[in-house]
Amino acid sequence: MIHEDMICPFCGCLCDDLVIETKGTEVVRVDNACTLGSHKLMNAGKHRLKGPIMRDSGQWRDASYEEAIEYAAGILLDADRPLLYGWSSTQGEAQGTGVSMAELLGGVIDSTTSVCHGPSILAIQEVGHPGCTLGQVKNRADLIVYWGCNPTEAHPRHMSRYTTYADGYFLENAFRDRKLILVDVRKTETASIADEFVQVKPGGDYAVLSALRAIVRGREDVVPPTVAGVTKEQLLRVAALCKEAKFGALFFGVGLTMSPGKYKNVRNAIELVDELNRHTKFTLTPLRGHYNVYGSNEVFTWMTGYPYAVDFSRQIAFYNPGETTAVDLMARKECDAALIVASDPGAHFPKKCLEHLASIPTVLIDPMHTMTTPLVKCQIPTAVTGMDAPGTAYRMDGVPIHVKKFLDLGYPTDTEIIGKIFEKVKEVRHP
Amino acid sequence: MMRIVLTMKERTNPHIPIEAEKINPAFLMWGTDDLTVWEGNKERRLDEIFEVEVEGTATSVNEVEVVLRGDTSRVKRIGEYMDGGRITVEGNVGMHCGNFMAAGTIEVMGDAGGWFAREMQGGAIICHGDVGHYCAAGYRGEKKGMRGGKVEVFGNAGDFTAEHLFGGEVVVHGNCGDMPGVDMQGGYLTIHGDCSRPCGNMTKGKCTVLGCVSEMPPTFKKEGEVEGPDGLPLTHFTGDVANRGKGNLLVRHYQYLE
Ligand code: SF4
Repeated sequence: MIHEDMICPFCGCLCDDLVIETKGTEVVRVDNACTLGSHKLMNAGKHRLKGPIMRDSGQWRDASYEEAIEYAAGILLDADRPLLYGWSSTQGEAQGTGVSMAELLGGVIDSTTSVCHGPSILAIQEVGHPGCTLGQVKNRADLIVYWGCNPTEAHPRHMSRYTTYADGYFLENAFRDRKLILVDVRKTETASIADEFVQVKPGGDYAVLSALRAIVRGREDVVPPTVAGVTKEQLLRVAALCKEAKFGALFFGVGLTMSPGKYKNVRNAIELVDELNRHTKFTLTPLRGHYNVYGSNEVFTWMTGYPYAVDFSRQIAFYNPGETTAVDLMARKECDAALIVASDPGAHFPKKCLEHLASIPTVLIDPMHTMTTPLVKCQIPTAVTGMDAPGTAYRMDGVPIHVKKFLDLGYPTDTEIIGKIFEKVKEVRHP
Repeated sequence: MMRIVLTMKERTNPHIPIEAEKINPAFLMWGTDDLTVWEGNKERRLDEIFEVEVEGTATSVNEVEVVLRGDTSRVKRIGEYMDGGRITVEGNVGMHCGNFMAAGTIEVMGDAGGWFAREMQGGAIICHGDVGHYCAAGYRGEKKGMRGGKVEVFGNAGDFTAEHLFGGEVVVHGNCGDMPGVDMQGGYLTIHGDCSRPCGNMTKGKCTVLGCVSEMPPTFKKEGEVEGPDGLPLTHFTGDVANRGKGNLLVRHYQYLE
């Protein structure tokens, strides 16, 4: 069977032009996706956990969905500071149910944003977001800046769909007219096609952004001959390219958000874009990683007022990254039970956090055996959104897209499982 | 005078944070029976968590002294909105100690957690040990950090000390982490030790670093040499030029990230 206009549930580009051919529960062909997307989709039905598993005195044993749901509700209800973490690779519907449950439990709900683009949001809360949709960039931008990211490897179709290799309605010869500036600490593959490659010393992004701001406003006199490994001549060239552009679009990745200074780097980038808007049109967009991590921010915000790291322990929403974020909670051994949904902290979190995670009752909702599995007491497999479950996801520019299903493997969705846990919680704590 | 001694009891899970904004002379002077604190998501009576001893009486908040004993390192929001009196913490204290305080004195003998004296308006707050990140800073997205009063830290301070500082005085006798005084718009910040990248994006105010600055921001204009305390020569910068700023940054030694 051929499925057209399918959505790739892998990275924040959420490509929506895929053609997938299936035979029964096998995927036999994927067209239009990049290698990352194809690899994930070709193996769509494989490596799934058959059913829930629970740990009994150190040994895994099979369990029923009912038993696993009962256990999950029990540990969350017993806790004084339950943590509900993950939410980046699941449906918007499940995220919403998760927020309602966190509120009733008096728990902390946090998404993987806190370890990727959380700083971008903190900066936006300070100085706003001069953003636009990717369609605007595709059709209008004649200057693209990638800062601290490697789209060739992490978002392989970003350049072909929206920037360098894309056609633009308002650009005659888009490929020739569009300039590309790449800023990074090391020379990546993308550097070979950039008009200007700026190699910044690690941790020097803030200084380079400040220097560019000063130059754009005509104060190059104060800028020293080199700033964080970048010569003043190159900075002057970059500033001129930005000012000459008709429409510039700056994209940045975790190279900016997770290097020293974190959100202050992003704030400085926003203020540079602000300064450039006195000369031309310029926008800024974070290159979000997981396909629906932006969705978690959208859903959390419209439900609680805050985009991630929301603490309901006092029955009102409180938000303070650094205090209510999952990594910090685990490092300080605060949480005493955890529900991990559609994410893999086992692969990304510091050892200290994982030691704590392994010492408390934890349930993982994830279709596959991951690096988090050895740390938890119970795992519940569910359908994968975009493969065997439909749902809502938000693209990196904030556009909601209905993700479709093309397989039927009989697994319940994340929303169903979390909904059932929520029912059990409600039986004990009436809202 | 009224003296209230709160001694932390043993807890089954000492890692769960306690939110105790009621530990404030203004509440405690009227009796401790109805006061509650939050341990995680559970609301508890003050005397479930602390042994409470009260001596004497007070007619005004300024006659109240509160002493905290035992392991208070996870107790947050002590002295929040304090408007008079005195709090002494004999050990360490958790986050948000002295949030928004307007008057009175808080003295911490041990270390303090993050957001120490956040958005403080007046009064004095002293920490004899180290403080965490965001000492005398603002809340997330808040344009103004501390607005008045005095913060004195005898140990080291973490990153983003005095972020968004708007008024008042912050003195750190040890070192500061990364980006002290970032986005500051007024007030005085003095760092006796070293720090990195101070005062990025500052618009007003004065910051003095008597130690060594690493990764000096490249967008400050050098104005010349001035004499600092004890006759030490300091280099005077103004900026942040990137932000049309008119702040003053005085440093003993500095190094750019070239
Ligand atoms: S760019 Fe991202 S969304 Fe598009 S096909 Fe590749 S992995 Fe999927």
